[in-house]
Amino acid sequence: MPLKILVIIPAYNEAGAIARTVREVLASPLAPVVLVVDDGSQDETFEIARRTGARVVRLPVNLGIGGAVQTGYRYAAAHGFDVALQLDGDGQHDAAYLRALVEPVLNGQADLVIGSRFLSAKEGFQSSWSRRLGIRFFRWLIAGLTGVRATDPTSGFRACGKRLIHIFAGYYPSDFPEPEAIVVAHRMGARVAEVPVVMRPRREGVSSIGTLKSPYYMIKVTVAILLHMIKQRKVYGP
Amino acid sequence: MSISLLAFLLAFFVFIFVVELIRRERLTFKYAFAWLFFALAGILFALFPQWIFSLSAFFGFALPSNFIFFALLGTFIFLSLLLTVFLCQQNKRNDRMAQRIGLLELEIETLKDRT
Repeated sequence: MPLKILVIIPAYNEAGAIARTVREVLASPLAPVVLVVDDGSQDETFEIARRTGARVVRLPVNLGIGGAVQTGYRYAAAHGFDVALQLDGDGQHDAAYLRALVEPVLNGQADLVIGSRFLSAKEGFQSSWSRRLGIRFFRWLIAGLTGVRATDPTSGFRACGKRLIHIFAGYYPSDFPEPEAIVVAHRMGARVAEVPVVMRPRREGVSSIGTLKSPYYMIKVTVAILLHMIKQRKVYGP
Repeated sequence: MSISLLAFLLAFFVFIFVVELIRRERLTFKYAFAWLFFALAGILFALFPQWIFSLSAFFGFALPSNFIFFALLGTFIFLSLLLTVFLCQQNKRNDRMAQRIGLLELEIETLKDRT
């Protein structure tokens, strides 16, 4: 039986970019099922996404990126997918890297694979320097707490296998999901790996990740991550 | 003496008000219980103020009134924390429900397309 691969695309007011993003993913040789999660958009995201032939979940209210992505994991769990990939609806992530992300999951090297823009020989989109400083801090924080090497902890371009799909379907962080999910995965005994990807600057819309330069934001994310180190393991699942 | 009467009336009023809210199902037991408990405690302390004096002395408060303020503050901290817990619970349920509705709608659409 061929492996069932799901690509989860969270989208909030991405009418301008969603069609191209979905088409790119559908053209991937992995032949994945594409699930767009429209996070209560006010624009035409839902209608446009539906016309692309992707499966589209429309959330009745805006849950934020974490709640939207978790919807995807719940779908993946309910339909018995073997691998779930996550890719932003804004077109920042290049579907050409889907195979590279999936590979470590398929050959059993890792349970969670993160596409990192800082490992790539090619430069691509690297974000502003202040943002990179924030990213570097979280990289250091996560490494210090968990030993996990995640050079691009805020990257929403990732893949995970069956066990994590079921864990994330039951529990997925909602405040600062990208870095938090790494810590959650680690605490659940998952192996985290990275692969180099080249990212593009976003064509449309605004980033859902708050300003990584604001000290207030940095403190909030840090506290959220620290709290994951003391939470009872059972809150994440069996 | 009039102060303890005032305190009794206040505690009694809160208690009756909470009971009335429960009678009208405006407060359900789960959320009313803590209020009932503290209102009842208030009535008891208003009826037997000597308990306040002895507790206050036991904990070493200079004045019983300080102890009263301290106890009230503690009560409200507890109640508001409880409120936040309920809020989070509600929030989590809302999110779950929104996800479920979205997923069910997709399943319905898929079924419709199939027929």
